[in-house]
Amino acid sequence: MSGYGFYVWGSYIFSLVLIVWEVVSLKQRKKALTQQQSSNTVPASVLRGSANETTS
Amino acid sequence: MNLYKYASPATFYPLAGKMIPFFAITSAILFAAGLYWGFFIAPTDFQQKDAYRIIFIHVPAAWMAMLLYVLMAAYAGIGWAFNARLSSMMASAIAPTGTLFTLISLVTGALWGKPTWGTYWVWDARMTSTLILFFLFIGFISLQSAIDDPRRADRAGAVLALVGVINVPIIYFSVQWWNTLHQGATIRMLGKPTIAAPMLTALLIMLAACWLYSVAVVLIRLRCIILEREQNASRFAEVGV
Repeated sequence: MSGYGFYVWGSYIFSLVLIVWEVVSLKQRKKALTQQQSSNTVPASVLRGSANETTS
Repeated sequence: MNLYKYASPATFYPLAGKMIPFFAITSAILFAAGLYWGFFIAPTDFQQKDAYRIIFIHVPAAWMAMLLYVLMAAYAGIGWAFNARLSSMMASAIAPTGTLFTLISLVTGALWGKPTWGTYWVWDARMTSTLILFFLFIGFISLQSAIDDPRRADRAGAVLALVGVINVPIIYFSVQWWNTLHQGATIRMLGKPTIAAPMLTALLIMLAACWLYSVAVVLIRLRCIILEREQNASRFAEVGV
């Protein structure tokens, strides 16, 4: 890297760490939500009534 | 086909789930291709040597930061004006990824600045306005987090996001409007780019990778927000996604 390894690799490693952190934290958030919802499910037939709702 | 039905969080939720794998896999392939091209095919710069290779992450991150801010403000504005919940949720989903790319842009810029300018940071117009963009993203997220009622939080966030849009053209044109240490635009909308073709190719592949990555993570986050906000969120799981 012509003596610039610290700056070049530092940039890519920093970016990689942030991207991995974002993906992992999102997966954890999704997993926690799914677990939370699984104990409180409502029949799908109830859902269909609100499929066209765009505003509250 | 009635596209308006996808403005409903309940209908968009499963559609988003189907789109995520495509964007995620394509993004991973493009990241690999872009990094290979940037490190093994693009030649060494005669002036900056290998330090210039930071460009392949710095420039796409900076572009994504600005683009995501504009998108966030647009979705927040639409959500506010038309009382469209999904648009407001989309704005909330975009904000953390925009913050991430702004931070990558700032840090990689500082790491590029040291070997080329001799300093990590100067209060240059481009760098300062990008730092302001970072604070705008943080402000948007903090403001929304501070208000319990999601609808009020969306409206307050929309005002901040729309006011902050003025910063985006300031960032873009700062190198033309002021005498800055930061170099001018390498790629212009009009006119030939001032960069060698192999370098430009790697840059554009990395930009596409960052763009597809953003779509994938924003959709994942949007699904989480939909689940969190909907009072009967469990019904989404029941529909089978």
